[in-house]
Amino acid sequence: MFTSLLLLALASGGAGLTPSAPAPLDVYQGVRPLTFGKPSIEHPPIAVRCARVLTMGAGDVIHSPGMLLIAGGKLEYVGKVIDVPAGYTVLEQPDAWVVPGFIDLHSHIQTGGWGDINDMVMPTNAEYSTRSTIVPDNPGIRRALAAGVTTLFGIPGSGTSISGFGVLYKTKTRKSYEDVLLADPGGMKVAQTHNPERSQGDLGQTRAGLSWLLEELNDRAVVARDNGTFDPALSNLVRIQARELHALIHCAGNDGVASTVRMWKGRYDTKCVVSHGSFDGWYVADYVAEMGVPVNHGPRTFNLSYGMREGRIVGTSKAYIDAGVPNFSLNTDAPVVPAEELFLQGTVSAHLGAEPYDMLRALTIGPARSFGIDHQVGSIEVGKDADVVLWSGDPLDPRSSVYAVLIDGEVQYQQSHDGQWF
Amino acid sequence: MQPIVRITTLATLVFGLGAHAWADDHAGAVMALTAAKVLTCQVDTAGAPTANAVVNNGIVIVRDGLIESVLPKGSALPDGAVLVDYGDAWITPGMIDLHTHVAGVGINDSVFQSNSGLRVNGTIEPGRTELMRAVAAGVTTHLYIPGSGTNIGGAGMLIKTSPQTYEAMVVREAGSLKVAQADNPKRWAYGMNRIMLNWTIREVFERGVAYAKAWQAFEAGAGSEPERNIQFDIFRELVAGRTQISAHTQVHQVVLASIKIMADEFGLDLFIDHGTFDGYLATDEALKHNVAGIIGPRAVNNQNKGRGIDTDGQIVGVAGEYQKRGMVKVGFNTDAPVVPAEELPLQAAMGVRYGFDDSAMQALLGLTIVPAQVAGIADRVGSLEPGKDADLVVIAGHPADPRSMVECVYVQGELVYNAEEGQIF
Repeated sequence: MFTSLLLLALASGGAGLTPSAPAPLDVYQGVRPLTFGKPSIEHPPIAVRCARVLTMGAGDVIHSPGMLLIAGGKLEYVGKVIDVPAGYTVLEQPDAWVVPGFIDLHSHIQTGGWGDINDMVMPTNAEYSTRSTIVPDNPGIRRALAAGVTTLFGIPGSGTSISGFGVLYKTKTRKSYEDVLLADPGGMKVAQTHNPERSQGDLGQTRAGLSWLLEELNDRAVVARDNGTFDPALSNLVRIQARELHALIHCAGNDGVASTVRMWKGRYDTKCVVSHGSFDGWYVADYVAEMGVPVNHGPRTFNLSYGMREGRIVGTSKAYIDAGVPNFSLNTDAPVVPAEELFLQGTVSAHLGAEPYDMLRALTIGPARSFGIDHQVGSIEVGKDADVVLWSGDPLDPRSSVYAVLIDGEVQYQQSHDGQWF
Repeated sequence: MQPIVRITTLATLVFGLGAHAWADDHAGAVMALTAAKVLTCQVDTAGAPTANAVVNNGIVIVRDGLIESVLPKGSALPDGAVLVDYGDAWITPGMIDLHTHVAGVGINDSVFQSNSGLRVNGTIEPGRTELMRAVAAGVTTHLYIPGSGTNIGGAGMLIKTSPQTYEAMVVREAGSLKVAQADNPKRWAYGMNRIMLNWTIREVFERGVAYAKAWQAFEAGAGSEPERNIQFDIFRELVAGRTQISAHTQVHQVVLASIKIMADEFGLDLFIDHGTFDGYLATDEALKHNVAGIIGPRAVNNQNKGRGIDTDGQIVGVAGEYQKRGMVKVGFNTDAPVVPAEELPLQAAMGVRYGFDDSAMQALLGLTIVPAQVAGIADRVGSLEPGKDADLVVIAGHPADPRSMVECVYVQGELVYNAEEGQIF
């Protein structure tokens, strides 16, 4: 009803943002997806009109004011304001910034809490998967959604050297595993240093032992790959060695970061991504950049031990960016830092010297490219998944809040309807 | 022509722990600090920013550690003024946090249930790392108070965060009387509840106020000299209006009890400290008794539909709710180290995120002039006006935007932090 009235108004008055546009339409009217497991593509097409669209895609185009047309869960038009085709629900938010949904490649909130992410009987567990632990629509995921986070890599913990495979999924509400899935397996989780040393899970709790464990297993996977032999304990690791899947490698400190890059890129040439890279890991940022390994940084984006006596602080996001690491991204390691504070990782990095726009890339296209999912997510470009977030202002400014989130073209959260969740 | 002094050269002269006071080294010298925006935070009697609250392309003239004037660009400078050009940066007053515990340790003596005679001043450690990080975030004044482990924790102290000696830190020794109205002090004894806490507050206040009035009478020439009771000396300050009660209070009926007992019954100067959960429902009563709210560090309430945690995920901003109900004097606190002292501006930013109207710079006022007025120290700090301390923050942009980096901090005209020497926060 609302929709058709607005379309009538548009038909008679023409398109274009008016300065005193009416309050945003409640696009839930009649279209709120309440059916469990209902496929996204049945959602009616939506037109989004806003103050600006930060595409974060090729050429870093910004449309101001801007418009999106969304159908079948995909973006079918991105650009300046044009006439709305018949049959589209209009989501009008004249002051909104529209930004791609954020991507967090290091997250554990799929289980709804701290549990179920660390099986620590064996030191390496390359065949484990977080698949069966995912609880879609849990409160942590809802808050992430309300903070503009639309894609998570739900991974096992760092209690063992290899804790298994994670699932790339979206933060949709009221959905099943099948509905939220982006990729399973999404990639493998490795903990190189700084955690698997603890008690169970390794041989002697030294880095020499941990490295031997990883190399012994990888060498066996290389043999299996080259001989085409099937070993159920190695089948996924073989895909890492065949460069079919990515590996996210928990490491920190300059020793941990360097040994990660040396082993996973230098020795095995896998599609690896350094995750955390905290403390003084940035000392070897030049080496990481030279080897072309992406860095997924956080949730500690600063280093205090440098010149500790004076309490000086070094912004490490800036350090990695300045060194030229490819496809830099940020993470929360949620629930270590709440998933909904992903944007704040960018804010803090900007406070400590990084360029705010670089940090916006680090929340969108950076992680998408580093994990090979940029054909679907990470930017607002025609043909990609319609994962877009309407912000009241700059997403890196905590004074801004999220008006609405669309995933696969469906409105999943709308502040005017749901109240403020974060 | 005035000489242009690059701040780096100044910094090598004056920066560092135990730095010489710039003003001491340059007795009688005058500084002219220029910036793209000078946010003086001057307000009118209604608490609204005046026409001078923002001076674009402004110049702050500092003489002998005090602000002499704030001038528009192009004004004639005083003779001999040293010009320091901060280019595109903004200058704001040093920020004020009326609830912190980081100037020392050992602030929760819990042997007795009420401790109106205790004072935190014996615990002050100048130059603590936590204080220096606060300075680096532009927070130059703290109300350093006892904890909430007991019903009445004792006297807090108003301090400057940057000085390296006790004497230089003191703004006011009787900074406040810390009262903890509910929740935390219940842990003091098994079975203790809000009724007993309220009774104890009344009982101690009855005796304290009577003691203060006996002294007032004696000083006015009536009666004999009362016997000194150091448990109650703080009440002489309270009754004379020279200090306030900082009331750790939260939840609707507890805030009502704080206002009813201390402001209404005893007529003392009280401000709401925390005021969280649904404490904002008591705003009408607070306004009747001129009680302000220093909100934080819990910025949101998720109990909107009654008690217990709502399950719909909805939250509302606490500061915004007080403001929507008509409270003008809304400030922010960190309860540091509960939230780090350096994150005070983030409390204001979160307030804005959750509905606190910042269209008339209320967020910055809540970090500067509002707490200064609430603590009764607006004659010295809280805004950039002639005669006040030259406590200045040079910052890259809006102070309530956490992306803005603090470039320099001056306290009483002394450069106490310069990020070019290395960023502390």
